[in-house]
Amino acid sequence: MIEVRNINKTYGKKDNALKVLDDVNFTIPDGASVAILGRSGSGKSTLMHVMSSLDKPDSGEVIINGKNISALKQKEVDKFRSRTMSFIFQSFFIQANESCYDNVSLPLEIADVPMSKRKAKIEAALEAVELSDKKKSHAHDLSGGQKQRLAVARAIVNSPKILFADEPTGNLDSVTGGIIEDLLFDYNKKNGVILIIVTHDPDIAKRCDIQIRIKDGKIESIEGEKS
Amino acid sequence: MKIRDIVLRAGRSLKQAKARTLLTSLAIGVGAFTIVLSLAVGAGGRAYIGDIISSNTNVHELFVQPKQDLNLDSTKPRKYSDDPVINYGGGLTMKLLKQTDIDKLAGVANVTSVTPYYTVTPKYVTRVDQDKYQANIETFNSSVKLEYIAGSAENISNGGVIIPDSYREVLGFKNAEDAIGESIQIVIEKGGSNLLNPELKSFDFIIDGVFQQSVLNVKGSRGLLIFKDGTKTLYDYSQQNTAMFGAYVAATVLVDDNTDVNLVKNDINNAGYDAKTAEDLMGFIFQFINVLQGILIGFGALAVLTSVFGIINTQYISVLERTQQIGLMKAFGMRNRDVGKLFELEAAWIGFLGGAIGSGLAIILGIVANPFISKALGIGNARLIIFDPISVAVVIVGLVLVSVASGMLPARKAAKLNPIEALRTE
Repeated sequence: MIEVRNINKTYGKKDNALKVLDDVNFTIPDGASVAILGRSGSGKSTLMHVMSSLDKPDSGEVIINGKNISALKQKEVDKFRSRTMSFIFQSFFIQANESCYDNVSLPLEIADVPMSKRKAKIEAALEAVELSDKKKSHAHDLSGGQKQRLAVARAIVNSPKILFADEPTGNLDSVTGGIIEDLLFDYNKKNGVILIIVTHDPDIAKRCDIQIRIKDGKIESIEGEKS
Repeated sequence: MKIRDIVLRAGRSLKQAKARTLLTSLAIGVGAFTIVLSLAVGAGGRAYIGDIISSNTNVHELFVQPKQDLNLDSTKPRKYSDDPVINYGGGLTMKLLKQTDIDKLAGVANVTSVTPYYTVTPKYVTRVDQDKYQANIETFNSSVKLEYIAGSAENISNGGVIIPDSYREVLGFKNAEDAIGESIQIVIEKGGSNLLNPELKSFDFIIDGVFQQSVLNVKGSRGLLIFKDGTKTLYDYSQQNTAMFGAYVAATVLVDDNTDVNLVKNDINNAGYDAKTAEDLMGFIFQFINVLQGILIGFGALAVLTSVFGIINTQYISVLERTQQIGLMKAFGMRNRDVGKLFELEAAWIGFLGGAIGSGLAIILGIVANPFISKALGIGNARLIIFDPISVAVVIVGLVLVSVASGMLPARKAAKLNPIEALRTE
């Protein structure tokens, strides 16, 4: 469960100050899929950064499974993130010169997963995104859709509790984008992890349990929230 | 993140930028090459000189001089002394040894014999029907190993002389064997005789041996060698009626085989003399080699310094290029410290690679060049370039440390990078 309480965030100082998040509150139950919708500049990306503790709010708290991560030290935040969260980005951010295997291995290395347990996890993740045959290929040989599938494999390899996806289909055509969507929602349903998708695509948003609309740093509406 | 995983990732990152890695390493490789080679040449030079010393000098021998007056203040007049001195003018004098000093030295414990240093400069050396030649006369020293072409020093006695092969040739002997048993004349100017019309006397010496001048013989290689008493005769004749008669610049003291030379050296020094062992005498050559080696290493260090900027530059570019990768790793929870370490270790790899390439090339060059150098210098099988595995390892480790140090600045930049900024897609 993720509780977001009274989050405020301002960029810049004095005259140039821009309130990016203005008293944001909501709760996400375990296993939910959530779409954060809004135009560019609405503050949706910042909200994702604050929720994933990549960014600290000026005030307010983000409580994940009873733990106030906004109050943790950097070292603990890093550790917490490496064990519980994962990310998928619009531009994939995969290492083009490395093999698919090494790309997927990164989160395991960061989370100090022992060498002996890595191979099985990596192979399972590649299997899940149907890239088993590309294990040794360099990532730059993959198509756009395959690259994003690789990013999904990297995101799920260490069995995260929360999966953040920032415009995951933004750089893909509708067919390959659909495959990625299916992968994400399947994983969300099968494993009961929280899936948070930042998007401006209403079609993806419709597939989510909860839709949070954000405008000028304020929550405009929350639909589908179960109390 | 485990250090092992960071090392492997650092290695992989470098592999992906092969040309850049190699070029940066080569810069540091130039430094490694120079340093390793100068260390090897220094080691070889010292070993070679060590060989020369052991084959030319007797480790049981001490070279003794009077303790010189080191007060060089020439503004104050000096007290006159009856003791013999060589006056160089300008208040510079050199004290000499007298017969009483020689006797005193002979009385020191564990001293086997004392030989005064007879300086004899003959007018010329010649042979019947041959030209006259200048020459140096030296006292024969059994500890100096000579390479005899003919004859030997076994039977050398008062009337015998051993000559270098070059004199054999100019004195008209077709080959060395012919010279043995023949006599040569050493002509000496009588001491105290009229300078304008000096009285000359010819001394006959029988050739007992002819030796080859070898590079390993630095001492006594150019002179004619005469037995101790023979030189004394010549010396006495040339110095009679002069102030220098019975005064010697130095003396050679032979120490008992079973006694440490340095103990006797201390005893003699305490008695008011200045004694030097063979090693002391040759020390300046070592110093010369060390200075030369130091200069070469200095050039190497300069190359390393230059490569430091190369590494900093390369790593800065690498950080800029991989901004998104750094952001991603941080998003996945990689600690800032580990990100910094990743870049420091990449620098370490560059240093290791450069060190290995440079020392490798130096070693190959050394092995290939050694026979040519030895041949060109005519030093036989002696090797002038000697690689010490430990010093090579120390150089490589040192370069790795230097590289890590130069990688710190870019690594800090990487560690401080804000992941949100890094992941922003433009």
